[in-house]
Amino acid sequence: MTNCRSHNPLRPFPATIIKIIDETPDVKTFQMVFDDPEVMENFKQKPGQVAQISVFGVGEATISITSSPTRKGLLEFSVKKVGMLTSALHRLEPGCKVGIRGPYGNHFPYEKMKGKDLLFIGGGIGLAPLRALIDFVLAEENRKDYGNIEIIYGARSVDDLCFKYDILERWPQMPGTKVYTTIDRAEQGWEGHVGFVPAYLEEINPTPKNKYAITCGPPIMIKFVLQALEKMGFSDDQVITTLEMKMKCGIGKCGRCNIGSKYVCLDGPVFYLSQLKQLPPEF
Amino acid sequence: MKVQENLRDIARKLLVNKEATLVIGYAPGSEVSRVIPAFIRKEEEVDHLIWNPLCVNNLAKYLLDYNQEPGKVAVVVKGCDSRAIVRLIQDNQIPREKIIILGIPCPGLLDPETVASRLNPNTQILSASLNEQAFSIQTEEGIFTFSRNESLLEKCRSCEHHTPVIADFMLGEEIPPANRVDPFEKVKKLEDLPVKDRSDYWDKQFQRCLRCYACRNVCPACTCRECVFDQAEPCWIAKANNLSENTAFHLIRAFHVAGRCVDCGECDRVCPVNIPLTLLNRKILKDIKDLFNVPTPGTNLNELPPLGSFTNSDPDEFM
Amino acid sequence: MNAYIITRDNLRTWIDALIRDYTLVAPVREEEKVSLFKPVGSFTEIDLNYTNSTISPKGWLFPQTEEMFFFFTSDNQINLEDACKPGTTILFGLRPCDVKGIIALDPVFNGTYQDCYYQMRRQNTILVCLCCTRVERHCFCNSMGGGPTNGEGADLLLTEMEDGYGIEVLTSRGEELVNKYHQLFAVDGDNRVSKTRDEMGKKLASQFSRKVDISGIKEFLDQHFELPYWNELAQRCLGCGICTFICPTCHCFDIFDQSPDGESGVRSRCWDSCMFSHFTRMAGGHNPRPTKKERIRNRFLHKLKYHRDRYNLDGCVGCGRCINKCPVNIDIRQIIADLQEVARYDQLPLS
Repeated sequence: MTNCRSHNPLRPFPATIIKIIDETPDVKTFQMVFDDPEVMENFKQKPGQVAQISVFGVGEATISITSSPTRKGLLEFSVKKVGMLTSALHRLEPGCKVGIRGPYGNHFPYEKMKGKDLLFIGGGIGLAPLRALIDFVLAEENRKDYGNIEIIYGARSVDDLCFKYDILERWPQMPGTKVYTTIDRAEQGWEGHVGFVPAYLEEINPTPKNKYAITCGPPIMIKFVLQALEKMGFSDDQVITTLEMKMKCGIGKCGRCNIGSKYVCLDGPVFYLSQLKQLPPEF
Repeated sequence: MKVQENLRDIARKLLVNKEATLVIGYAPGSEVSRVIPAFIRKEEEVDHLIWNPLCVNNLAKYLLDYNQEPGKVAVVVKGCDSRAIVRLIQDNQIPREKIIILGIPCPGLLDPETVASRLNPNTQILSASLNEQAFSIQTEEGIFTFSRNESLLEKCRSCEHHTPVIADFMLGEEIPPANRVDPFEKVKKLEDLPVKDRSDYWDKQFQRCLRCYACRNVCPACTCRECVFDQAEPCWIAKANNLSENTAFHLIRAFHVAGRCVDCGECDRVCPVNIPLTLLNRKILKDIKDLFNVPTPGTNLNELPPLGSFTNSDPDEFM
Repeated sequence: MNAYIITRDNLRTWIDALIRDYTLVAPVREEEKVSLFKPVGSFTEIDLNYTNSTISPKGWLFPQTEEMFFFFTSDNQINLEDACKPGTTILFGLRPCDVKGIIALDPVFNGTYQDCYYQMRRQNTILVCLCCTRVERHCFCNSMGGGPTNGEGADLLLTEMEDGYGIEVLTSRGEELVNKYHQLFAVDGDNRVSKTRDEMGKKLASQFSRKVDISGIKEFLDQHFELPYWNELAQRCLGCGICTFICPTCHCFDIFDQSPDGESGVRSRCWDSCMFSHFTRMAGGHNPRPTKKERIRNRFLHKLKYHRDRYNLDGCVGCGRCINKCPVNIDIRQIIADLQEVARYDQLPLS
């Protein structure tokens, strides 16, 4: 007989919030550690995968893992306050208990990306899943496997920029890495670029040669970014995006995250643009 | 079939003259005992429209789907359904001037199950008629008669308004009120039971509720933009399906539609597990009638629901 | 495999013995028009003359509401305790279409991630199928690869005979259920049982009111996602959950917590319906299936295409429940016929 306790994928593992970083007025990054060191050790996520976070008594939500697997001993989740569960998470403090199960879904094709230049295009909280891959390729042990890194990132305002330390200080100092940051409207004290991400992308006009473009952000941004990339000559197999759908089980049973016959929780969330074009437009 | 001809004639005129952009009526269903709500926009589709004693659905609520319609929407209603039109107008769900009411004086409907048990499901109804004693249905396979006594739809036995209470076109001759079964007969029987038995009775009914929300979705008094049962926060009713949550669901709904339920019987009809919702709603209807001495809600456009209106002369003994 | 014959009197004895030794879930006539699978306390409660239960018996493997685990907080520690502890259950008197429904659910709850709640119940449940003796007007199992006397997937297959019931053993688990009470059964030496079943099958084959042709439907839907036809259907759909809740193969669920004090509580899952607007609505408000059109299309594509894409099984077994209960006569047989028509029309310009 199946033993429910030993391998029940719907049962989360208890974990503790060890640190909370305020990113923007409505985004916080939570550092979490499993209470059982063995579980922590065995949790082997790949960049782009997601996990189900439990706030016991409130429920669960699917959140992308924003820390790179190269960063051992903890997991980071950047969470925008939009619904019931995320609001409950935002009310928690360091030391509070949560539950984590996963990792779920596919991951960015980091093996195929070896030897290539990478262009990241993110908007708002959409940088969260990209950050796992950015830090993965920038990690000392992997850096030599990848070419130049360009990161184009934008938010509505300076306040809304997530991961300010990464985009303004840490990443620009890394070798072979360029970071382009923009905000939608000019504001006092901001000397950087002003304008929407797709327009900035066209301005920068990166070459598609030997390159993958990875994008995530609000649907409207993704739409125009994809158009811009196509104009610049990126093929559908060079463009990768990661999707967000309402998920409950995370393991392909509960039936709500399907796009056609694909389940985003199993077959996604990472899709090549060429794959996306094969799917019905129901996302 | 005079009514059906009138219906098609008027629907055609309305569409041709662009007086209406849509006519909501009935069309034949996938089997002889069923009809489907039909949404007719083109002149050439008008002949899909039918009228026969199997046209059970109350079509009034579909008007809500078309409140952005540029033109007027015409809708077919029977007497019972017409009270739902009044309901929707009174609740400001639809402006009176945006709709054209095609009223059908209805002598009573046939129980679809009875028809299904006798007729080949794949045959077509050619014509139907009703006299004092029997329904007569002519199909491609002959004429079938159904005694009125045995096959009249339960809800029609206590019909209050054979003739629609509101209409722009009356598609048949008015049918005067006739002798009818006391609609509160079953309510009274249940009221006479000891509390324990009544409680057991409803527990048994609510126990098997699936919470499919068909009763709510079909109800012309349920027009909230976001239903409390769909709200995640605050969570009025847990998603768990159990007697306590199910009971809460049905009682909240019954009280929510109290004084506004037009007694069209649709909740009862659609329930997949045969929970006698009419009985529940009629209990409240009976109490409201006793307390406020009002007609069945929806009877009169100028008479607002007793719990949804007040005047300075209202007694305030409870204060 | 072996076949046996049991007299009506012995059937009664057998069932009462099964009730004593196991949890026996069988069809019960709850109300005049409501037939449900319920645990029974004696043979007399069972209605073996039913045609199709109002709600499919899937709930005995995948309950409408199922507690998954309890959580407790103490000294800032979270402790979880599993809730599922099913005993051995016999699902008695299942119709062949409902067995097929369970077979269609199996791969959903199997795969890389084993759904232990379903699996535990499934492994602890013995399926006793009862061949049909009549065909309801909404039945179309024979169009969906099944048949009223096709008990494939069950552990035991019962056929009503003149002098009792024939019992065909389909699995070793089924064999055990017979062996344990072997004195009640006579061995069927001359294939009387399978002969009777074949005859019944032939007799019933002609009673279906409608034959449905699903050939080419999936292939057509593979190529055609956007069809005005879905708008037509959606116009009259009420957006209720009847079809999904009574369906033997629908498996969508939601997960929710209940905690009176915020310290301890229970996490459960319950059936959900793709016909509900909030099913896919995200916390931020975006809804990938915003109207009834997308939702009704999703349901029928799930039945006719997606289930086959994922599991190579039909997502519909032809039990006819949704046809019977849909308040606005959305009839999957008619949809299949209409899609055939649309497909033919669609191909006209090419030919």
